[in-house]
Amino acid sequence: MGKRPTGVAVVGIGITPYHKRGASPDAERKLLLKAIDAAAADAGIPASEIDGFCSYGADVQEGTRLAGPLGTRELRWSSLVWGGGGGGSAGAIAMAEAAILSGHAETVVVYRATAESSSGRLLRAVSQGVFGPHYAAHGVDSPAQALGLRTQRLIEHDGIPPSALRAIAQACYHHAGKNPDAVGHGVDLTDEKYESSRWIVEPLRLFDSSRENDAAAAIILTSAERARDLTDKPVYLLASAIGADGPKWGELDENHEPYTSSSQVSAGRRVWERSGVTPSDVDAVQLYVNFTGPAVSALIDLGFCTAENAGEFLTFENLIAPDGKLPICTGGGDLAEGFLHGMGNAVEAVRLLRGESSNPVPGARLCLVSGGPISELSSAALFATTDGR
Amino acid sequence: MTGERNAAVEFGRRVDAPYWSGLAEGELRIQRCTSCRRWAWPADWRCPGCGSYDLGWEAVEPVGTVFSRIRTHYPFVPAYADLVPYDNVLVELPQAGGARLIGLLTGGGARIGDRVRGTFVAASERTAGLPVLTWTKES
Repeated sequence: MGKRPTGVAVVGIGITPYHKRGASPDAERKLLLKAIDAAAADAGIPASEIDGFCSYGADVQEGTRLAGPLGTRELRWSSLVWGGGGGGSAGAIAMAEAAILSGHAETVVVYRATAESSSGRLLRAVSQGVFGPHYAAHGVDSPAQALGLRTQRLIEHDGIPPSALRAIAQACYHHAGKNPDAVGHGVDLTDEKYESSRWIVEPLRLFDSSRENDAAAAIILTSAERARDLTDKPVYLLASAIGADGPKWGELDENHEPYTSSSQVSAGRRVWERSGVTPSDVDAVQLYVNFTGPAVSALIDLGFCTAENAGEFLTFENLIAPDGKLPICTGGGDLAEGFLHGMGNAVEAVRLLRGESSNPVPGARLCLVSGGPISELSSAALFATTDGR
Repeated sequence: MTGERNAAVEFGRRVDAPYWSGLAEGELRIQRCTSCRRWAWPADWRCPGCGSYDLGWEAVEPVGTVFSRIRTHYPFVPAYADLVPYDNVLVELPQAGGARLIGLLTGGGARIGDRVRGTFVAASERTAGLPVLTWTKES
């Protein structure tokens, strides 16, 4: 490679249908290879040209194992963002950006695949051993319970009204209603339907909770210069950031500080600083919604609202396309399009900015993707229709 | 969330082993730096304040305030399935630098800020073979 690139852009996206967990007809790696093939076709390049692989969390699909079936010409980058869950979903994009800008790799795929039937990810990585003895001995052994604890304090101590949680759920299902590929398509989440849905872990109801699907998604990034040669619709990455809010954050048996934070303060601040963009400039957010409570924390930490005005700002009308002040999860998101640990959100950001979303936001130029609130590490990525220069 | 930070093949070699052996003996022990006296929780190998590896354990009274709480309806944990719905509290210990412990709440009725007292309960199949504290709201 010659001169180092100064920016990166997405040139291709690929996603498989969402299957109910455990119901994929294809093995996990086959799903992933299909998603990568679709992304390469979208980019107009042979899949063998991909020279970098980035994923996150407990992914078992190592880039080195994908190189064989993809016919990779030269493997130059293969990295995993540490940290459980989807905290690194936008962080894997940051990893790709770092690889391309530094000249380590030229064409990098960021991906997630999960097929419970073949990898048993949820059973193996989440249900067994993610929560240590300080949790398990007391009957606490699931993300719903740990995030329920944060959410209860958010409501009871910080004063966030439960209506903010409901608005997030309703906006996601509303968008899914216009997305024929969404698993939550056809669910009319009225106030009554939401309020009467069963508790999973108080304060979280069924409709506050995502349910993991079998699916795979991939996005391909390359230098902005090259992207303009490959496609007439490059989606530029203005900034990305990854990390944990310190000093007391990590998997700390509920001793995190500040406890109800999403751990996105630091990643958010760096995205705004790097891009020169402010939250009020953003046209839509593909928000990671594992559960609605953490999503509220994330919107506060990323600067879209405050704990004081969250109840006023986080309303159904404000959160939906095309006219809301801040449309979120325009494909239905993790709650209602399908849960793929956040990678579906990056795909939807690209669709939205290309004008291909089921829920378009007219004139949208800037879309933020957030990764994994209340994970021990989190991340954010800001995409745009122009390179910002 | 993961236990790997402190994991050891042999349970007795875990960094928090004194906490569990204390519970078995009816004593709540929290880690504290021998050098700078800073409370360290959850337990780890190095004092984040002064860098010392010389960390000790001190017994504190099993009382605290409710920092947060949940009521579990879905039987996520098979050993607790017969109890659903059951309440858990996250208890803050002001006398131990604000260390927070998860526990089962018995008797219900506790809200954030309420004072609770711990009862030592012997290890059982339900508690994954570990001694625990259960918590009750003080009247």
